[in-house]
Amino acid sequence: MNRKQLLGLAATAMLVSAALPTWAADPVRIGYTMARTGLFAAAAPSQEQAYELWRDQVNADGGLDVVGERRPVEFVSYDDESDPAKSAQLYERLITSDDVDLLLAPWGTPHHLNVAGIAEQYGFPIVGNTAASVAIREVQPGNIWFPTSAIPDQIGPELAAMLGYSGITSVSIISNVLPFSQENLSFLTPALKKAGIEIRMSENYPPDISDMTPLIIQIKAADADAVLALTYPADAFLYMGQARELGVEADLQFLLIGPTIDAFGKAFGPAADGVVTLAHWSPEQSAWPRAKPFFDAYVAKFGQEPDYLDSALAYMSVEILQQAVATAGLDKDALRAAITDGTFDTINGEVRFDGVQNSVTPTAFVQRQGDKVQLVWPKDIATAPLQ
Amino acid sequence: MIESLLSAQLLFAAAVLGALYALIGLGLNLVYGTMRLLNIAHGDILMVGAFAAFWWFTLTSLSPLIALPLIAVFGAAIGLALYFALFRHQLAQELDASVIEGRSLLLFFGVSVVTQNVTALLFTATPRAYRHLDEVYRFGDLAMTGNRIAALVCAVTLLIAMLIFLKKTLFGIEIRALIQHREAARIVGVNVEKVQMVAISIGFAVTAIAGTLLSMTEQTNPFMGFRFTIAAFVVIIIGGLGNIRGGIIAGFLLAVMEIYAVTIFSAEARSILIYGGFVLAIILRPQGLLGVRKRA
Amino acid sequence: MRDTFTLITVILAGVGLLYFGSIGAGPYWQIVALNLAMWIALTQSWSLFSGLTGYISLGHAVAYGLGAYMMATLFSEWPIWVLVPMGGLVAGVFALIVALPVLRVRGPYFVILSFGLSELVKYVLLVVETALGQSSRLLFGAPGTQTLLVWMLALAAVATLLRHVIGLSRFGQGLVAIREDETAAETIGIPITRYKVLAFALSTVIPGMVGAVMALRSTYFEVLQVFSPTISFTIVTIAIIGGAGDARGPVLGAVFLIALSETLRGVSPQLYLVFLGLSLIFFVRFVPNGLTGLLRGGGR
Repeated sequence: MNRKQLLGLAATAMLVSAALPTWAADPVRIGYTMARTGLFAAAAPSQEQAYELWRDQVNADGGLDVVGERRPVEFVSYDDESDPAKSAQLYERLITSDDVDLLLAPWGTPHHLNVAGIAEQYGFPIVGNTAASVAIREVQPGNIWFPTSAIPDQIGPELAAMLGYSGITSVSIISNVLPFSQENLSFLTPALKKAGIEIRMSENYPPDISDMTPLIIQIKAADADAVLALTYPADAFLYMGQARELGVEADLQFLLIGPTIDAFGKAFGPAADGVVTLAHWSPEQSAWPRAKPFFDAYVAKFGQEPDYLDSALAYMSVEILQQAVATAGLDKDALRAAITDGTFDTINGEVRFDGVQNSVTPTAFVQRQGDKVQLVWPKDIATAPLQ
Repeated sequence: MIESLLSAQLLFAAAVLGALYALIGLGLNLVYGTMRLLNIAHGDILMVGAFAAFWWFTLTSLSPLIALPLIAVFGAAIGLALYFALFRHQLAQELDASVIEGRSLLLFFGVSVVTQNVTALLFTATPRAYRHLDEVYRFGDLAMTGNRIAALVCAVTLLIAMLIFLKKTLFGIEIRALIQHREAARIVGVNVEKVQMVAISIGFAVTAIAGTLLSMTEQTNPFMGFRFTIAAFVVIIIGGLGNIRGGIIAGFLLAVMEIYAVTIFSAEARSILIYGGFVLAIILRPQGLLGVRKRA
Repeated sequence: MRDTFTLITVILAGVGLLYFGSIGAGPYWQIVALNLAMWIALTQSWSLFSGLTGYISLGHAVAYGLGAYMMATLFSEWPIWVLVPMGGLVAGVFALIVALPVLRVRGPYFVILSFGLSELVKYVLLVVETALGQSSRLLFGAPGTQTLLVWMLALAAVATLLRHVIGLSRFGQGLVAIREDETAAETIGIPITRYKVLAFALSTVIPGMVGAVMALRSTYFEVLQVFSPTISFTIVTIAIIGGAGDARGPVLGAVFLIALSETLRGVSPQLYLVFLGLSLIFFVRFVPNGLTGLLRGGGR
């Protein structure tokens, strides 16, 4: 080709390369597994989407800060088929064969418990998130941390306290037979008795129940001040619809899991007003400046609201990791020390760990008020009064 | 407790649940009765109907009830597609019923897995829901949510329409003939191929409609179908495989059991009562509580 | 007899290859080998009953679940080498108890019944657990993957051998006769009830032990997970793809499944399942005798 063409080519090449984002640095590879198929497939997206949002935000911002050096974030992820054992095995693979720099947590308590063993075995720190069982207290501190405060042995007494404060003197309880519901029931029942709150009825139901009319008729007949439905998402929908239909009147209705899901608000709208549930985060908390932006970004990217419990926890865990990496880099020992001793600024306010547990965030409850979800208990982080 | 047993509320609950169970049983029975196909993907067709309703409502803000004919056609199209792709050839060979049953079970299982996961790929596994017709109407002690009334009315209308269709129309009679005795039907001149196509179209259409009705009151996600597949099989076994009228009665019977037995015993025993009853029913009277011992 | 000898050699070679190969290749591959061995053990046992008699069981997860439950509840009381066989024993005894009523039923009724039975046991155990005040159980200090791999390879080897030996035996021929024509079989003097019950019970023992071993993989046990219909359905899928005619089928089918899984899961798990579903459809439609049928030249 002639000289002119050569010059033109060179100019084009320079222009093009100037226009491309130049990643001079190696990407930071972060691994995790997620329940993309199987029993938990409907619940896991709320967590994975929070991860993805974070990754996109970090990369758009110039990359992850690794002690001053900016590097792009790349995920290496697998489907764990909702099988906790498989999850542990895949984490082993991520560590030994895929050689990832960092790890994020999978979805769900059983997965966390299994992965904790791997973290311990390889000395690889992982910030957990969506695990909520007293079993996590039995986990060896060292390489895994649980930012959640929604632990059954705290939920029981806190709920009893909140009920007592609201002047509730009697409750009706219905509970799914699945583990999280039953674990909560086992702590709730003595806590209520201790607070002097009368338990007018307490019934269990199987997870595949299709119609709660008989149960709800019982609830109406018991006519307690409050109704505590220890539900999983599917039965939460069923309960809400049927309780409304039958006109359950209570000063307070509490659902264990369900109301924080985007689809719940969409299904019931104003009918879900006043429902109280588990969560320790709300975008309405102005003391946490990062909360609302996260909420808005999530809605903008996914067209749905984040899950007030799972999505928030997932995002918190990556924020913690991000801040730890900024000061400690990628060295496992340094990271471990940074997470153990550090104080972190998250969308849920300040987080600090005492052993495996979050020592700052209290066990809290939220309530749907209008089309917002407000923190209502405990008083010092409440964004709105309990109604 | 007697008062609550006699309450109109329980009756309404049993009616709504029964109508839905009867409807999903009907879809399955039509397909099994005429062709001996065990449709394990039945609940997934329901799921497809539910998703169609969700997207219809989300995109047009119009009632999914308006879209019912459209969704029915969509369901029928899926049925026909599967018929041509998978079953036409085998059915034409007039193989032994047990072979067809066995194969169809596995084929439909493949269809089920594919349907669920294609849906998950397209829409993600996040649950969806929408609000429609959710005003509650009260008459004395009885309370009924609009969408449940609509579901009951639509389901019962459809069931009655189907019964009339099967009794009075030519295709309906031919379907019943095919169900009763395949060989005899052929001998008297029934166009087996055509009738099979009609049967599978209607069966799948009815199922998709049931999915639409359910989507108004339940959350929708790609893996919701299996529960209904199980329910549908329980219904048609109790009613007698291929026994249309038996299936409808069985649907209501199952709902009655679910509501009233739970009231008498406890909610916890619900699944044990249902599956226990189901297992006993198959062992003691495999032709169904209402069936007659059929010729193979 | 030469056939059996060859099989034993092949089994030993396969086991050796899997064991030493996976140890060399790394912990992840040990897990792959574990899963492969598990599916082989489960499907061979299933095939012993369903493959030979034609009574398709869609409820074999019940045997797996019972064995797993046994291990989960008694883990802290008794040693593993007692609990694993006990898992098999419990499953087998359960099968014997339900066999007489359950096996009276034939064809599609049996298929649906076997499934319903598995679900019934699941819900009964859920209530039992609640009554015991338990919801999930933790198993700390379980042995590592390597030990579990040894157990599972042993179970896979025994299951394969058992399937082969029974297939050749008079008992096995009797079962095949039952599949061909049950009434005729009875007429010529085959004790059909005794045979069916025996085959059914035998087919649940190893799955019970498999369940017990697999419960040890996880620190966390929950009833809902081990009585999963997915397990039952996957067994049948493997049997169809591999072919249920003899002992080679489940091995080929399991290898196919694992190969497909390893290749596609990383790309997209839903895509893997779509392919698996399509494979099943393809095989049932065009290759009903499975991969072994292909090997044999399509005929039986």
